[in-house]
Amino acid sequence: MTALVEPRAAPLLRPARPSQAWLLPTMLLLPSLAWITFFFLAPLILMCWRSLASEGFSLETYSVLFTSPLFTKVMITTVKTAGIATVFALLLAYPLAYVLTISGGKMRALILVFVLIPYWVDIIVRSFSWLILLGDNGMVNKALMGLGIIGMPLQLLYNPFSVLLAMVQILLPLTTVTLFGAMLRIDRTLITAAKIHGASGWQAFRTVFFPLSLPGVYGAGLLVFVLALGFYVTPALLGSPRETMIAQTIMVEASQLLDWPQASAAGAVLLIITTSIAALYNRYFSLDRLWGGSDN
Amino acid sequence: MSTIAGRLGLGAAVLAVLVYLIFPVIVVVAISFSSGNFLVFPPPGFSLRWYESIAGDPEWVSALWVTLKVGSLSALIAVLLGVPAAFALVRHVIPAKALLNALILCALVTPPIVTALSTYLFFVPLGLVNTVVGLACAHAVSGMPFVVINTSASLRSADVNLERAAVIHGAHPLWAVLRITLPIISPGIVIGAIFAFVHSAHELLVATFVLGGVGKPVAVKIWSGVQATSDPTIAAASAILIGLAIFTFASAAATQSLAKRRTA
Repeated sequence: MTALVEPRAAPLLRPARPSQAWLLPTMLLLPSLAWITFFFLAPLILMCWRSLASEGFSLETYSVLFTSPLFTKVMITTVKTAGIATVFALLLAYPLAYVLTISGGKMRALILVFVLIPYWVDIIVRSFSWLILLGDNGMVNKALMGLGIIGMPLQLLYNPFSVLLAMVQILLPLTTVTLFGAMLRIDRTLITAAKIHGASGWQAFRTVFFPLSLPGVYGAGLLVFVLALGFYVTPALLGSPRETMIAQTIMVEASQLLDWPQASAAGAVLLIITTSIAALYNRYFSLDRLWGGSDN
Repeated sequence: MSTIAGRLGLGAAVLAVLVYLIFPVIVVVAISFSSGNFLVFPPPGFSLRWYESIAGDPEWVSALWVTLKVGSLSALIAVLLGVPAAFALVRHVIPAKALLNALILCALVTPPIVTALSTYLFFVPLGLVNTVVGLACAHAVSGMPFVVINTSASLRSADVNLERAAVIHGAHPLWAVLRITLPIISPGIVIGAIFAFVHSAHELLVATFVLGGVGKPVAVKIWSGVQATSDPTIAAASAILIGLAIFTFASAAATQSLAKRRTA
């Protein structure tokens, strides 16, 4: 949502005395903030507390985490996978968002439907679909063998490739919508001006539109990266143990090993990382531009 | 000439990306209508047997009910809390607005596994584990941002002068909000509620921790099925979720066009 430049109209429900101006907005906000505090913030604080105080107060869980070669490896895999998925999602979403920006009316609506339908389909389902397509008897292997390109089915599943293929597909709709929102805010008359002064279409894009779109690209990148860090279903279904991401480790520690302090510590580490990145994003781009937050 | 080549290249790239986006959805829907016993695409023939097997399986039916109950209750809570919050954020000058906004939205960027683990630890002593109400309360937190965002957008474009006119003509300010503004912004509220419902229906990890034992919702049941079995029942269950998503999407679009017609 853009910061509207037009002067703000005075609130209608005018308080009887100006000294009570804070009363109404407080009453309107109080229920939601209380709910978030009780059902979201309090549990998070409790989790951080549990990570510190298993038997008395100690940082033991954290020293276990940071000296564990497995945790280090999982963290590296997580950051690497999320990073690569983010880059590919941006590369694929950019042309899509650009076409959405320059096309109008029916074309734009049609593309948006195609972008949004997968967004409304469960992540489990979308990951599961690749399991069917990439298996030994899956369509991809059958087609390649039918064409005589390969003699034996390729091992397409349970590797970084299958995880990334599904992750990028899952992240694409949000990346596209976020980029599209940013591109809509670019003043298109600047491109027209460049063309009037003799720039070709490509030159105008490269020297005017593209640089102006970069802040949007960085913003979308940060956001998508944060979401990718927390992926659970896709690596669990389409990856091998080598592609294990941090969310899976937390899940195993909690639900199988029942090691709540250790799981809480890993959760706290992930929480601190994602919150820092989200705070950085919010500082420059503001979170409320997302998730159906249309500008008009 | 080069612009034509460029346009063709761009068009081809966009088409390829769209196919990549939509293809997994087509695969699952197609397989759900398969007549075969195995998960193969393209399916060998058409049948409704996997839908029948879901309809005839009390476990799947109860899972669908649980999802409906949790989704509606959490969407309702999200609306009751989110709409007043949107009014405050759009219409009032309040200190630290950016911070409050971020607080309402931050549930969406918190990794689901962190939310799930912390909610579970918090719910155990409260006795909210294994309850539909408990899961709905937790899902309401992540549903609220959708309501706040969409309601705020509607509220910004709604004409305050209509409400003013009602007040000038003697209506109580609260009555003016309820009778004039609320109907105008209702499409935004409905879309937000639909987003919140779909979010709840898809959410896996909090649902696993809170309702993972008995009376699990569809998402949890699909997830355990996906890991274990290899017959198209899962595809049919998934397709029902897709159908639900497309239905809600279409009704959201219909509400929006209806609202446009009303204001036009």
